Amino acid sequence: MLLFRSEEHLERSGKPKGAFMTPEQMWRLADTWYHDRDDPAWRRRSPDEAEEVFAEIGLNGDFWRLT
Amino acid sequence: MNILVRVRLAVLERTIASGQVPTAGEIAAELDMPIAMVQEAFAKLGEAHVFVCDRDDPSRLRMASPFSSVATAFKVSARGGSYYGNCVWDALGIVSLLGGEGLVDTSCPDCSEPLRLRVKGGELAESDSVVHFSVPARSWWDDIVFT
Repeated sequence: MLLFRSEEHLERSGKPKGAFMTPEQMWRLADTWYHDRDDPAWRRRSPDEAEEVFAEIGLNGDFWRLT
Repeated sequence: MNILVRVRLAVLERTIASGQVPTAGEIAAELDMPIAMVQEAFAKLGEAHVFVCDRDDPSRLRMASPFSSVATAFKVSARGGSYYGNCVWDALGIVSLLGGEGLVDTSCPDCSEPLRLRVKGGELAESDSVVHFSVPARSWWDDIVFT
């Protein structure tokens, strides 16, 4: 997962087509994913739960499927 | 608290305090536990995709997610410390874990221009940059270091 200066720079880089998101979406995902990682009660999300998190921040479609 | 939880928390606490992902020996000394037991816990945490073990050395972790044990292109400054994230997701994850205040410094893979993401009070400052994922979600763990 890399950060490009803009969509134009991403296209110019010739990276294989994948998916992209805004830094704001990335922050929301990272915050949801990691904010409680040092909680003793933390547990890894199931694939279904992870897909729910993706959908909540607008990441839909086959690229984001885990199940 | 079971051994896996104790080891997981000790690794994270020590990484946050020192900026370095600890070895099994360091965790064994801290928890007063045999090294072999800590290495077994590292292996189980790796199998569970909580951490990523070093391929060649069972006493070391490659990733104590969200932290990287090696220098990467994603440098994080937060809560007075410096860290490396495994990718932009993990770098922002470190900022979140450390209270939602910090900086992520990286550079554009296309033009090498330095890029900075700033989080203050749990909010990300506006940025025109774009995050790219080349590997679909279901294949992330096929080669997590590449991902």
